[in-house]
Amino acid sequence: MKKLLFVLGMFLILCNSAWAEKEIVFATDATWPPMEFVNDQKQVVGYAIDYMTAAGKEAGFKAVFKNTAWDGIFAGLAASKYDAVASSVSITEKRKKAMDFSEPYFTVRQALIVAKDSAAKSLEDLKGQKVGGQIGTTGYFTIKTVDGLEAKSYDEVGLAMEDLNVGRIAAVVCDDPVAANYALDKYKDTLKIAAVMESGEVENYGVAVKKGNKEILDLINKGIAAVKEKGIDKELQEKWIGQ
Amino acid sequence: MSKDDITKIEVGDGAAIPSPDDKGLVSAWWVALIGTVGMLIALPVLKPDPYLTILKFVPDGIVVTFEVTILAIVFAIIIGLLTGLGRLSSNRFINMIASLYVEVVRGIPLLVQLFYIYFALGRIVRVPDIVAAVIAMAFCYGAYMGEVFRAGISSIDHGQTEASLSLGFDKKQTMAYVVLPQAWRTILPPVGNEFIALLKDTSLVSILAVADILRRGREYAAESFNYFETYTIIALIYLLITLLLSKLISAMEYRLSHYERR
Repeated sequence: MKKLLFVLGMFLILCNSAWAEKEIVFATDATWPPMEFVNDQKQVVGYAIDYMTAAGKEAGFKAVFKNTAWDGIFAGLAASKYDAVASSVSITEKRKKAMDFSEPYFTVRQALIVAKDSAAKSLEDLKGQKVGGQIGTTGYFTIKTVDGLEAKSYDEVGLAMEDLNVGRIAAVVCDDPVAANYALDKYKDTLKIAAVMESGEVENYGVAVKKGNKEILDLINKGIAAVKEKGIDKELQEKWIGQ
Repeated sequence: MSKDDITKIEVGDGAAIPSPDDKGLVSAWWVALIGTVGMLIALPVLKPDPYLTILKFVPDGIVVTFEVTILAIVFAIIIGLLTGLGRLSSNRFINMIASLYVEVVRGIPLLVQLFYIYFALGRIVRVPDIVAAVIAMAFCYGAYMGEVFRAGISSIDHGQTEASLSLGFDKKQTMAYVVLPQAWRTILPPVGNEFIALLKDTSLVSILAVADILRRGREYAAESFNYFETYTIIALIYLLITLLLSKLISAMEYRLSHYERR
């Protein structure tokens, strides 16, 4: 009898794993509110998290999130430590050479954040001063394109904001939803958004997968398309960004 | 203040310097040096992209690393000397302060101290990033250095102090003219090791967005995705610097051990 139960049990376990949905592990640097961040219950939450979970429901995979430091997140992808990176990654030509991207799931511009009493309206106004951004982000690359600025790269955008808050640097450049989260909420008494860079190109967030990983990419694209079709992305935008 | 303390310091800190008598370590040093220099030359020549680009990207980081290291070591030696003397002081108040400082600093990881001085105290006093880095490193290594000084001073035979006092020197003069000049010989080699350790630990200041060697490397890697190549070069640069420094200190130690060798 015992043996029969055991065999039955094993059979159930096997079936279960065979029928279970495919799991896709997303790496995310949860220091980028409101897109992806750790809430006070120590859970990774945010727009991108809800988005990919919804995409999974539509396309039939289970989205699992792994909080990973931004610096090195692409090295981990290349080493197959996870299946995909959903961490507010703007699709750029340079990045496309190193990895494959899903369809865009969000659109941003770069925003310039300065102290409340600053008169600067653009990066050109800040010649000779220190401007910070998160290492390896399009915000930081934007700073580097302007001559005469001292670009400072931080591990996390929050550290750059804190340095701006205490006045060690003159400005921070990052994606506009993140800028809004800091300048209009956390540091609303000391910081403001000086400009959203209209001159710069619109940037699209995509999910990055290892070059050539078509199976995962197709699944994610299927999910993203379904989310857009059902208008779930609009709901999420309202929930997390509010505009 | 017993002899045991002295042995501890020599075991803990003295071992990093290859002793001139240790033939195995000396030849290992040569192998490492030739290998490092060879790779630093061969890689950029054979594969200029990306190795040469990386080599061109990091030099200002090397300057910053040295800047932080040298400034921090100078202050750490001053703090260390004061702490070492304080720990040996018969004045209970001074002794208490010095001991408390050592206990507190040794109990907090350097990374936490860096964050604390930069971000926590940054709310109160606004110090530039390099200054914060130097303060944090000097504060931390001052405590280690204090122990080195204390052990070095304790290693001088008490008979020297007694002789000096009986000749009419007061306590301060005894310390300044008799004990410290002799203790210096014992203290210098471990100070050299602390210098190398500090240089390596300055890689931690890259988290404060100080543009040192490691930060420059990370910036390059983040943009080019050449992680393997970048960190290979970064590791080789650190290795080359510490190899040269350890040889320098080992040579210095050899000259200082003049009396023992006779």
